[in-house]
Amino acid sequence: MKFNLKALPIAISIAMLPAMAIADEQTNDEKIAQLEQQVQSLQTAQTESLTERFSFNGFISAAYVSSDNSAGYNGATSSADFSEDSKMGFQGTFNISNQTTAVMQLMMRGSNDWEVEAEWAYLAHSFDNGVKVRGGKLRVPLFMYSDYLDVGYAQPFARPPSEVYSQVPFSSYTGGDIAYDYELEDSTLTVQAFGGESDVNEEDEGLDLDLSNVMGLNASWTDLTWTFRAVYGQAEIDGSVGGGAVAVDNETAAFTGLGGSYDNGSWIAVAEWTTVDIDGVLADSESAYLTVGYRINDFTPYATVAYLKTTDEDEREGIPPLAFAFNEERVAYSLGLRWDAIDNVAVKFDVTYATDFGDTHGGLSNNGFNPLSGEFTYDDTMVYTVKFDAVF
Amino acid sequence: MKKILSVLALSVCSIMSAQAAVVVIGAPGAADISASDAKKLFLGKGSKSAVVYELSEGNATRSEFHGTVTGKSDSQLKAFWSKQVFTGKGNPPATVGNAAAMKSAVASNPNAVGYIDEADVDGSVKVILKP
Repeated sequence: MKFNLKALPIAISIAMLPAMAIADEQTNDEKIAQLEQQVQSLQTAQTESLTERFSFNGFISAAYVSSDNSAGYNGATSSADFSEDSKMGFQGTFNISNQTTAVMQLMMRGSNDWEVEAEWAYLAHSFDNGVKVRGGKLRVPLFMYSDYLDVGYAQPFARPPSEVYSQVPFSSYTGGDIAYDYELEDSTLTVQAFGGESDVNEEDEGLDLDLSNVMGLNASWTDLTWTFRAVYGQAEIDGSVGGGAVAVDNETAAFTGLGGSYDNGSWIAVAEWTTVDIDGVLADSESAYLTVGYRINDFTPYATVAYLKTTDEDEREGIPPLAFAFNEERVAYSLGLRWDAIDNVAVKFDVTYATDFGDTHGGLSNNGFNPLSGEFTYDDTMVYTVKFDAVF
Repeated sequence: MKKILSVLALSVCSIMSAQAAVVVIGAPGAADISASDAKKLFLGKGSKSAVVYELSEGNATRSEFHGTVTGKSDSQLKAFWSKQVFTGKGNPPATVGNAAAMKSAVASNPNAVGYIDEADVDGSVKVILKP
């Protein structure tokens, strides 16, 4: 081994002899200067590529929410609440190679006592043919805003309308997806298939569910002004709801969604329509919203109308406790303003009025049924929000 | 009076010509691109081999460029890239500080595109789109 090491420089010099002969006209000083130059540029290239490979980003939302009553719309009550909609996220992205990336996003939510959770943690690989495969912990891509559900800065409104977004109690899963972008002349069609498993443990809402065989397909088309999207997803649900009151035994839940958006730089319009169908006792529902906004320099006033209703009331007609628990109806009207106050920071003001609950609790957690009067406590609610959304 | 008017007209003309349009540039050997290609490239879509350069945030030429080509204001562009970043779909293009840096970044790579004020164009680069 020692001999080999000693022999190596000699072998190299011999191999380089012809080159040296050609470069004979250069003086040693010139050669050294040239080599130094080369070493320097190699070094710069290397450090540059390392810093270029890693990126760190984050987002923060601080929200003030209050309501004219304690019905519990979005967790809002008549006392001011700063933690319900406040959140913070950090994301590190590392490009292992040109085609392989590792992404980790950590989230802390005020509604969850600022406990640290990984929302995204995956490895992604792009093949030469344009197919992209990801594996790890991912967002369930059911809604238009699913992928950046917590990044308020990237959304026009103070929050995605809960009439649609609260119909599915989980937002991430462990598994994988495979996506392909078809580049059309002036637009892109993306098709994505996903599969995995998840669980829901929300003690305050009495939910304890295991979701297995989560799978779905989603297609979206965009020309960067118009976007259209369709999605189907399903899962097997096992566990209990109502704090153990109702057992759920391997029931199939199916989700369908259609969405569209328009953004020409001035006008913004977003609409989504979704349905949830679950076997057995859990409620089936249908929901939709339409948001329209108009940008005037740094200000974007918007209006939203949203509704939600259960579609299987007849299954519970003869069983009053189940009907009181599961039947839901609600229409919500929001007026809001997004103000792009300073670079990277948007301030949002929103007033939402929810009403038309019919003979139901309207999907509001604190809206109890009074057996003496035969009515629910609240038949509407007004919610005020001021929210700061920042990205860095 | 006529003199004053013609002086005024002249100065208006010169102000207008001083405000040259933004152009998309490539290396001297690069091929022309269409406006929709440019929109795709600067929003991270389209050809994967392309290397895209932006002027740094707050630059007036940058705002003008995006106003014409992608239709996005500074804050909309920020919101757009935060969507891409936080969904792992991509990072915004590398930025350079000024027109001179843009030209030297683009000049040597036939796959590179950038944009500068038309007044800054010289022989080191080729105008591949006048949006």
